[in-house]
Amino acid sequence: MSAIIENNQLPFSAKFLQFYKDRTLLAILLSLFAVMFIYGIFFTENYLTITNFKAIIRDAALYGIMAIGLTFVTLSGNFFLLSLKETASICGVTFAMGMATGFGSPDLAGNFLVSLLAALAVGVVSGVIQGYFVGMGGNPIVVTLGGAGILYGIGAWWSDNLVINFTRPHDAEWLGTGSFLGLPSITWSFILIAIAAEIVLRHTNFGRKVYLVGANKAAGKATGHENFSMAIIVFTICSVCCAFVAVAFVAQMDSAQSNYFSAEFGSSGDMTILVIATVMVGGNSIMGGYGSTLRTSLGAIFIAMVDNMMVLQGFNSGPRIVGVGLMIVFSIIVFGLFAKGSRAQE
Amino acid sequence: MENFIKKITKDVDLSFAILLSFCVYVFFAINIEVFFSHNISFAILERFAVLGLVGLALTICIIAGEIDLSIGSNAALCAVIVVKLTDPLGAPLAMLIGLSVSTLIGVTQGFVIAFIRIRAIVITVGTLMLLRGVALLIAEEKTVMLTDFRVPDFITTKVLMYFSPASLTVIFIFICVGIFMRYTKYGREIYAIGGARKEALTAGIPLRRPMIIAFALSGFCAGFAGTVIGLKSGTAQGLGLQYLLLAGTVAAFVGGVSILGGKGGVLGAAIGALTVNFLNTGLVFYALQVHFVQLFTSVLLVIVIVFQTMSRVFDSRQARKSLLATIDERKTSLLEKKRSALGK
Repeated sequence: MSAIIENNQLPFSAKFLQFYKDRTLLAILLSLFAVMFIYGIFFTENYLTITNFKAIIRDAALYGIMAIGLTFVTLSGNFFLLSLKETASICGVTFAMGMATGFGSPDLAGNFLVSLLAALAVGVVSGVIQGYFVGMGGNPIVVTLGGAGILYGIGAWWSDNLVINFTRPHDAEWLGTGSFLGLPSITWSFILIAIAAEIVLRHTNFGRKVYLVGANKAAGKATGHENFSMAIIVFTICSVCCAFVAVAFVAQMDSAQSNYFSAEFGSSGDMTILVIATVMVGGNSIMGGYGSTLRTSLGAIFIAMVDNMMVLQGFNSGPRIVGVGLMIVFSIIVFGLFAKGSRAQE
Repeated sequence: MENFIKKITKDVDLSFAILLSFCVYVFFAINIEVFFSHNISFAILERFAVLGLVGLALTICIIAGEIDLSIGSNAALCAVIVVKLTDPLGAPLAMLIGLSVSTLIGVTQGFVIAFIRIRAIVITVGTLMLLRGVALLIAEEKTVMLTDFRVPDFITTKVLMYFSPASLTVIFIFICVGIFMRYTKYGREIYAIGGARKEALTAGIPLRRPMIIAFALSGFCAGFAGTVIGLKSGTAQGLGLQYLLLAGTVAAFVGGVSILGGKGGVLGAAIGALTVNFLNTGLVFYALQVHFVQLFTSVLLVIVIVFQTMSRVFDSRQARKSLLATIDERKTSLLEKKRSALGK
């Protein structure tokens, strides 16, 4: 009690410093942000334009949504999924199948709602099955590594490893290429999902349970919040986020293939690793129980910003991947050093 | 021999691995006529040279209670370096440089993990991307190729009907690592920090030494696998070889390691790698597309995980049951004592 009163009597500057002392990682991230931003303004042409900023947020939106889904998994102490891009690819294939052929019935061909629901259902099923195995006591990394191979195999088998096309005037255009109030729909979805996820984590029972189970599995078990149901729910949330990204991406490209999200996706190599990188660069504890989706969103925008700057400077994909890799390793080491002796240790 | 049989029947996972590999082999041997022949055995051993090494690398890491995800990137980096340097420097020197680079990467990873005390999956996800980028940088985003494809012929010549210098070297590495893990202090330290880290640290085992050794070995094995692949095909790509992680994990888990650490061994890794090889080689005859190979390999992994999880759950239930039984016994005996005392 006395500490609170003392804290209230402190002058504003001291309070500000205290705030930053408690949030060292956030401070580091924000200052890196600022450095990058100023560097970009002075040394990169065409950086400070509205179009460029829209492009940055649009880039960030695609892996940001997946990363927000993954944050739930990470916060609940289940590390991460290695099957993100495979889940996305099989959902994308499902959606494109629905748009192109209507799953065999010509009446449903091009029906946006049915295709969307089918894609989300595939995401839910894959999330529930993987979550079940993890909840039973399997290691998340190994289970999802196996799940990745199976999902990719099924997706490629189903689509015969071909590109599935559907023609341009279709019902999903508003999601893929449409925009609202000057921002693309995918960016709006990113913002809405980020806000919703933050509210769910901070102000609902479920969100607090996620933190509890992640911070201390034994305590969670003792108070009746077992990891079994938690694993299933968070894996489902993550897979549904992947499915949504896949639907938006496929709606933009008017086509789908089983390896759309593989190695050459975007700029920084592998989609799965990029999403995991986003969660880590944001400064979430990979051991669980510490972090937020706000950090993840900031991480996504940060990675997109650095990547965008390197593109504008004319770098090839090699240096860009090195850049993102260095960011991950740096943030891990900084986080590890700051959390030494408390959280990072089991 | 009797000892050996006793040991295998005692270890459920190892006997399951042997059974599984036997089943896979027999399945293909029955269905494909030429499967049981000298040439196929040679081909299987050739593949073993690569997959066995990756499986061994992951086995060592998992025994230490960690998992090394950067194995594919490490192999790709080493392959790029070796293929690129073979032209100006000659194959032996290039191999030496590539192997020392990947071993050094392993040492650095082990040091960072032990120094900061974070889980290996966290740092190796970062190095996965970093090393891939470095490999792309060195290869200048192109496919690196040898100019003279006769240079690496020495690793694929047939020796003694079944072997090539590559597979002989790999078998030699297996034996060395097996002896190291089993009969030296340093090897047993790796088992100790994997099986019961807290107890091991309290007992005075330094975390740094076994961790660095484990990751150095894993880096060396990954680099060697990359070298063999690169020299054999004469080409290397920065973005290639990512499939090694799945194959190696399957090999390690079929071989009976436990994700909790401290279990498994080199013999298991060899059997696991052979199982994956049987599967891959057998599927070649059905002329399937690549994704089917991945699908079946993953199915194998899931089967093994389910078996392991089930056996663990079964074990804990059994232990609980026996505990309850002993408690019951004690209770009844106490009651009887009381009764007899009252009766008197």
